[in-house]
Amino acid sequence: MDFFVQVLIDGLMNGAIYGLVAAGLSLIWGVMDVINFAHGEFLMVAMYTCYWIGMLVGLDPLFSWVLTGAFLFFLSAGSYKFIVRRSIGKAAMAPLLATFGLSIFLKNFCLNRFTPNFRLLSGTSLEGKVTHIFGAIVSQPKLVTAIFSLVMLCVLHYMIKKTRIGRAIQATAMDREAAELMGVDTERIFTLVFGIGGMCVGIAGGFMTSYLAVFPEVGALFSLIAFVVVALGGFGSIPGALCAALLIGLVESFAGFYIAPVMKYVAVFALYLAVVLVRPKGLFGW
Amino acid sequence: MNDKNGSFMKSKRRLIDNILWIGLIAVLAALIFIPGAIGKSTHTHVLVLVLLYASMAQSWNILGGYCGQISFGHSVFFGLGAYGAGMAMVTYGSMPWLGILAGAIIAAVTSVLLGWPCFKLRGHYFAIATFAIVEIFGRVFLIWDWIGGALGLDYPIIKDSWSYFLWSSNKTGYYTGALVLFVFIFGVVRYIESRKLGYYMRAVKEGQETAESLGVNSTKVKLTAMALSAFLAALCGAFFAQYNYRVDPPMVMSLDMSMKFVLITILGGMGTFWGPFLGAAVLIPLQEYTRTSLAFLGPGVDQMVYGLLIIFMMVRQPKGIMGFLAEFGILGRNEKKEATGDDAS
Amino acid sequence: MLVKSKAVKFFLVLVFVLAVSSASFAAEKIIKIGTIFPHTGPAAVSGQNCVAAVETAVEFINNKYDWEGFPLAQKEGLLDGYKIVLVNADHQGKPDIAKSEAERLYEEEGVFAIIGCYNSSSSKPASAVAERLEKIFMCGASSSAELTERGFNYFFRTAATDAIESAEFGEYIEHLNKEKGTNLTTLGLIYENSEFGKHAADEGKKVAAKMGINVVADIPFTVGATNMDSEIQTLKAANPDVVFGAALGGDYSLMVRTMKQSNWASKIFINYCTGYQNPAINKELGADSSYYMGGMGYSPEIAEVYMKAALPAQEIYRAKTGFPLDSDSIQETVCLHVLAQAIEKAGVLNTEKVVEILRTETFDSPLSLSGKVAFAPGGQNSKAFTVITQLLDLKYRTVFPASYADSELIYPFPAWDKR
Repeated sequence: MDFFVQVLIDGLMNGAIYGLVAAGLSLIWGVMDVINFAHGEFLMVAMYTCYWIGMLVGLDPLFSWVLTGAFLFFLSAGSYKFIVRRSIGKAAMAPLLATFGLSIFLKNFCLNRFTPNFRLLSGTSLEGKVTHIFGAIVSQPKLVTAIFSLVMLCVLHYMIKKTRIGRAIQATAMDREAAELMGVDTERIFTLVFGIGGMCVGIAGGFMTSYLAVFPEVGALFSLIAFVVVALGGFGSIPGALCAALLIGLVESFAGFYIAPVMKYVAVFALYLAVVLVRPKGLFGW
Repeated sequence: MNDKNGSFMKSKRRLIDNILWIGLIAVLAALIFIPGAIGKSTHTHVLVLVLLYASMAQSWNILGGYCGQISFGHSVFFGLGAYGAGMAMVTYGSMPWLGILAGAIIAAVTSVLLGWPCFKLRGHYFAIATFAIVEIFGRVFLIWDWIGGALGLDYPIIKDSWSYFLWSSNKTGYYTGALVLFVFIFGVVRYIESRKLGYYMRAVKEGQETAESLGVNSTKVKLTAMALSAFLAALCGAFFAQYNYRVDPPMVMSLDMSMKFVLITILGGMGTFWGPFLGAAVLIPLQEYTRTSLAFLGPGVDQMVYGLLIIFMMVRQPKGIMGFLAEFGILGRNEKKEATGDDAS
Repeated sequence: MLVKSKAVKFFLVLVFVLAVSSASFAAEKIIKIGTIFPHTGPAAVSGQNCVAAVETAVEFINNKYDWEGFPLAQKEGLLDGYKIVLVNADHQGKPDIAKSEAERLYEEEGVFAIIGCYNSSSSKPASAVAERLEKIFMCGASSSAELTERGFNYFFRTAATDAIESAEFGEYIEHLNKEKGTNLTTLGLIYENSEFGKHAADEGKKVAAKMGINVVADIPFTVGATNMDSEIQTLKAANPDVVFGAALGGDYSLMVRTMKQSNWASKIFINYCTGYQNPAINKELGADSSYYMGGMGYSPEIAEVYMKAALPAQEIYRAKTGFPLDSDSIQETVCLHVLAQAIEKAGVLNTEKVVEILRTETFDSPLSLSGKVAFAPGGQNSKAFTVITQLLDLKYRTVFPASYADSELIYPFPAWDKR
């Protein structure tokens, strides 16, 4: 029973974190129909940023996420302006491959500049602290990250549904030309969406640095899972991404514990295939 | 441009293409007979890789380029072929040929079984589904002991021979083999390009609904393209295993390998006959030579250059090298101008 | 227009770089030795350390150092003034690249021998190339026992294999059970699902079967996993007395942190040559790295007592990397050192003669724990052995075998919340 609760909570926490990592991707995908292949590397860059802020300035990830989020906003918006915008719409998959090139570049750039060493930020305020919930042991840095993920996702959802800028984003996603006729500067919206996408992953990365080692390959598996989360949720749907992420976290956790740990990612990808074959546009897609 | 003129241009293009194609084969084949041209050297290695990756890209091009189904799953078929050869050589200690054939057939059957449900998915959903398949296959193969699991299959050291398709003293055999593979796969594509299947595939790419309304059974066309594509990719995989004396799951069934198929084709020019060859001819030498020549700048610099080149290509000319050539009016009509003309109207 | 001219410049620079670097320099008396390690990719940390370790050997072989009892250090160069020049190659963790780089180094660069490849999966095809070409392949830290079971003639490995390590782990457990009445009866295995981890785990299982220890958990995990929750929970549920671990770098630190989080540890936790041996990783883990154990062929602490001669070499390495030598990378230094001695003894640069000497003679190796290196048929260093150490406050304390032990084992692993 203890293990059941533990596995459940671990799954939910990991799921919530996947959710925040995937949210940005989902937004970009939904609005622009572009897969950002450098998403995992953005996560890695965010973690390095947070690590270096922690090392050099001594700022705790609990606060430095603001900075990593801002930095990634500009990095992501910049990569839209200089790379994605120039390749979009010209040929199938061109933006995908361009961002793939970017991911190779970023990964090797970080490897070259920061050495491939595994870096753990130590001395953070939550380091090693745990909370007990119904007999399960929960790591505080992870719990905080997970809760914050949920909050961020709610904020993001609210922003898109209720604010002016959010409506402009929605309008652009539905029909770019109509939105332009209505006076929406869609080019700016696209830059903004890419920036927000980067910001989400930047914030996620900032928090994750408090419990995960940083190294140039850290983003690889996260980005794969983020792709699956987004496709499973249905693109552009933030609630979809959240549900898919929680589902994937749970499947990973339960399959890992009750079937075999080595099967956990197999189960995740198999679940995705099974769902998407029944619902070709994901759980919340239409 | 009137119809008559258009068809004249088309047949003229086809003639030029044919001359180029036969010329290319002749030059590549002649290399075997020029003493010293092909042997042990790194240049031979690079040539073999160019031919191999061009063949892989062309096999992908059948489904991705001509039929418009962007698959990130081809490393699965590639891997099945590699394992076919590897199992025959290592587990059963026999010649690889039957294993290669079995691997290729299994790959074709698998591709149909996977393609049949996956073709319901459109656009990026299809792409993501295919790479989920790669992840599943890669991970299952890692824990499947019968096929060697994570340990992989290592070729025994045996004498150089054609019957085992294994050489170590020089690469002439591999080069010849790669050339045969290259000519075969490109030949198949050249053949179907002008046959009914080729037109059907392009019709499906242009618009599935329209193609259906014209009486094309799009599912059947897509599955045929998929099976053919997988079969040919598996042959390339078998060659890869024979060439490297080893198979293990991360070597062949990885997303990395899948990306190679896509990247080379798109960088060369998707849906064109020459694209895969041009893509491989540019990317592979770049990758092989910069790895050694840029090493003094520190680790990873060669891959940074590789990444930048991809970005540059996609930003500058997403239609790839064929697009570049078309800008200069070489190898094909200037499609860009026509396209912009269409946009303006 | 700007874009175009920039692009043109970029390619001009590229072409220039290619042209300059391919112009090879001609020196008179040099011996070219190739190295193939992962400079990039998932194993890049260890690969780059290995390169630094080989460079360390080049440093003391080519130059004159007045180190006592250190073969070749006092002499400048080899034979009558030959200097060793390294040709480094990067295999990115990919066996196919390792294989083609091996061919290039032997045939284009004309290296006399290759040292490599860290990853067992890459060492296999690369050494097969060497065997086919009848060239020397020196292998440092690839631990898969299978490498030396192939009966190769040109392959030599200096490190202890996972089979040797497993046997020693088993011996130690028996020793503890007998001497201390610890009653360790169940074993768990947690290992990365790769050639290295799988092979280590298989050897561990063999030893367990021989000793009648129950394997209650057998957990391969994905390299570069996003979390290790299910792995550690499964381990916790099975609650084995002993765990053998084989996790590299980032996975190792994730594993340690997840164990801490779950507040679980086996009574003893022994690692194969892994993240445990990497001082950089332990430094990052800080106090959490304590009490873990592992098989090691070298540690700075052992060197202080038993391998004093190795200390000056360690300083050369430290100047390059900022860390002391570790048990993995030092084996690469040993490789070149032994090879250089064999060349010196042979008196000529002749592969067959050097191989003959490598096969038959015993070499002095101040960088090896036993002080000697000798190769058995198949190429395994028969003098290789490891000691079992336990980490406490970032110091490796040797606990077994008794002849090398400097500390008592802290047993059992203290509970995380009672520290």
